[in-house]
Amino acid sequence: MITKVIIQGYRKFRSFSIAPDAATNIIVGDNETGKSTLLEAITLALSGKIDGRWANEELNPYWFNAEDVRDYLAAYAKDSQTPAPSIRIELYFDSEDPDVQRMRGVHNSLGLDCPGARLEVVRNPDYDEEFAAYMADPDRPDVMPTEYFEAVWKDFNDMPLSRRPAALGVSVIDSRTIRSKAGVDYHTREILSSFLEPKERAAISVAHRKSRHEMTTSALNGLNEKVRDGSEALHDAPLGLTMDQSARASWEAGVVPQVENIPFAMAGQGQQASIKVALAMKRRAESARTVLIEEPETHLAYSRLHKLIDRVETLAGESQQLFVTTHSSFVLNRLGLDKLICLHGDTPSRITDLDESTVTYFKHLSGYDTLRLVLATRLVLVEGPSDEMIFKRAYVDRFHRYPEADGIDVISMNGITFKRALELCTRLDRDVVALQDNDGTPVADILAELTEYLSASRKMFVGDPALGKTLEPQLIKANGVDHMRTVLGLRTQDNPDTWMPNHKTEGALRILESPKTVVMPDYIKQAVEHFA
Amino acid sequence: MNRVILAVAGGRKTQSIVDDCKSCPEDRRILVLGYTIASQNELATRIRAAGVYGHRVEVMGWFAFLLQHLVRPYLPLLYEGRRLTGLNFEGDPGRYTKGAERFLDSDDRAYMLHLAKLAHDVATASNGSAINRLEHIYDEIYIDEVQDLGGWDLDIIELLLRARLKITMVGDMRQALLSTNIRDPKNAQYRKEKIFDWFRLMERRNLLEIEQAPTTYRSNQIIATLSDSIFDPSLGYAPTVSASTETHKHTGLFTVRESDAIEYARSQEALCLRHSKAVAKHLDLPFITFGVAKGRTVDHVLIYPTARILQFLADGAPLEGLAACALYVGVTRAKHSVAFITDQQLPNLTVWSRVPDRR
Repeated sequence: MITKVIIQGYRKFRSFSIAPDAATNIIVGDNETGKSTLLEAITLALSGKIDGRWANEELNPYWFNAEDVRDYLAAYAKDSQTPAPSIRIELYFDSEDPDVQRMRGVHNSLGLDCPGARLEVVRNPDYDEEFAAYMADPDRPDVMPTEYFEAVWKDFNDMPLSRRPAALGVSVIDSRTIRSKAGVDYHTREILSSFLEPKERAAISVAHRKSRHEMTTSALNGLNEKVRDGSEALHDAPLGLTMDQSARASWEAGVVPQVENIPFAMAGQGQQASIKVALAMKRRAESARTVLIEEPETHLAYSRLHKLIDRVETLAGESQQLFVTTHSSFVLNRLGLDKLICLHGDTPSRITDLDESTVTYFKHLSGYDTLRLVLATRLVLVEGPSDEMIFKRAYVDRFHRYPEADGIDVISMNGITFKRALELCTRLDRDVVALQDNDGTPVADILAELTEYLSASRKMFVGDPALGKTLEPQLIKANGVDHMRTVLGLRTQDNPDTWMPNHKTEGALRILESPKTVVMPDYIKQAVEHFA
Repeated sequence: MNRVILAVAGGRKTQSIVDDCKSCPEDRRILVLGYTIASQNELATRIRAAGVYGHRVEVMGWFAFLLQHLVRPYLPLLYEGRRLTGLNFEGDPGRYTKGAERFLDSDDRAYMLHLAKLAHDVATASNGSAINRLEHIYDEIYIDEVQDLGGWDLDIIELLLRARLKITMVGDMRQALLSTNIRDPKNAQYRKEKIFDWFRLMERRNLLEIEQAPTTYRSNQIIATLSDSIFDPSLGYAPTVSASTETHKHTGLFTVRESDAIEYARSQEALCLRHSKAVAKHLDLPFITFGVAKGRTVDHVLIYPTARILQFLADGAPLEGLAACALYVGVTRAKHSVAFITDQQLPNLTVWSRVPDRR
């Protein structure tokens, strides 16, 4: 089990560290915050490979953190002895497994006595001269010459690793991969072959080789005779054909899984994704097994996703540690909000101390768009769509632009209680303004229930009960019945007092779009003013 | 309980390790340590031949063990920023070098000369982690040819004896011809065959049990008895018992005149042994030294004796130290007969003469 991941100088991550949960980790974040990069880094340090190829073969100037490179180039201009940027990925394990314990030592950046693996990309000392010459060239591009770097993969006992240690399992499930002609992508192939004990694998391999040999001696025999007859005139030695016996012709390359007699590659992408997850998570128990799933929601309809998540949920934790990236609130709610890791630059945030009942609450209301809450930096919580539109109008009136333009996300509660939402925002340390109807309850009573979640950056505004129980009477009170009727474009015989509660959203839309002046209730004004 | 099994030559020491590996439960994780490369290879081959597969039984050399499991993981705790890169076999940091430079050369390779001390220092600096790590990786450790260890090696063995590991050591101090570090002043009182005293000390500390396995499956009783008489009885070795059932037409203890030596070696196909290359140069025989002969089994040996050996044969006064060990190794190579090249008449030895019945 991975207890700590440290990433330095790799892509997005300049100095990143995270202590993952033992069972499940849900990685969320805006686009470009490094969700895939994190999984990639974990795979690199666990297997020494990236997309099935050795790190050394795949070294790429863009692996280096852009800021590291920029700072280095600036420093180099002043002092050519400045150390070049490097990459370090460290995984700290917690396992009593004897094979994992072999990887134990203090060769890690924290100096901890702990089993672990690390992958570093450092200057290759064999190329010191070449590197110096490269850097001294005035016409050099501003990228690191990876040719003069090497990837070094070792465990915390400082022993170089040449292949993935038997005790560490890793499965990568990337539902986003497009259908490949090869039928089965590299990761799936890895998953399939790990089903087998080495002896079983050897037995299959031998049987496969035999059958290929039989092809040569039987079916190809007739063809060979013809070829031989025809070729003698062209070449001294007789030509013949034989089945390819090289590694490329290994049985793995010729075997594909099938679902109900349909080859895997021909199955729907959603089905492919489900199968991959099922295969990866069903394997024989091995210690420190890590399962990495990229965006399981891709290609899956709701009901299928539901089943898939069920499966993931039951299998996680027994002997496997799960890392899931997702853009889906459903996945997040279902796997548990408390397992959330929110990426934002080098400082990932996790929700700690979230009330157990809140986790369960959102698990049941799994359709709620929790991710918007999680990802917004500043947000406004309102009761429903009508409140949302009125707030926006108030904001535009005050600042002459929409709140989204200022990075403020206005989110309807749609039945979620303010208490749960505010608790979540508190744990995430989000700036939040909440707008609530009083529904006849004194403001002080409402606020009293929420005190522990309120602060200078988390405010709750409630309309004065004297001015109306809900938004609509408050608006009418602020603007007067006649003006309200004009704003709403109602006929004179229509009474806003009865029309508005019956046409909440329609009314709010008309107010949002109305060219006429609208006076906002005080609590809304205060809320808008919070962003001044 | 930890054990040291003190066997005699031909006592099937290595075989007992192989048998234990084969009969132990499959999930026991066993490390078998050999001292010389030859003994590691033999252990590995025989363990594999016995049908013990997989990585649960692992054979390693003593130095590799020190490097891999004691020095490498925790070296930075003793010498910050230093990382082990390998072993310096022949280098010598000089007598008065202090600190890290005494143990590591400029390329961070550990000097073999002080490796055991370094390993002990690192294990101490790790505050128990190095041993704890081993406890997590292995259940049992076997050490073959334990008599070859000495100096700081013994302190490392004591650490192992105190760990939650089952340690089984197998050896025969009477064959202590090699030593990891002869210059190491540490534990000088337990050098060579005196390692027996160290085992007794460990036994008094309740860290191990000494078992004597005085049965030889190689030599006949006459040779076994001769081999016992090389050592002072006060050393406490149990008398060797021969379990050999093989018979041969040429059996016993002989003297061979120098003029007959070549004929004897030829007709009996005897293995020719001497103390060192410097002696018996005048005889055109394929001599090898006692040290090189270690581990061999032959029907007959022909020994060119030193003056001390002759003295021992003449008056029966036991030998001491290396001389005793060397002769013991030489004598115990033979299954059936031992002959000494000398023109002297010696008690209890038959003078060999060219086959009389051929005349």
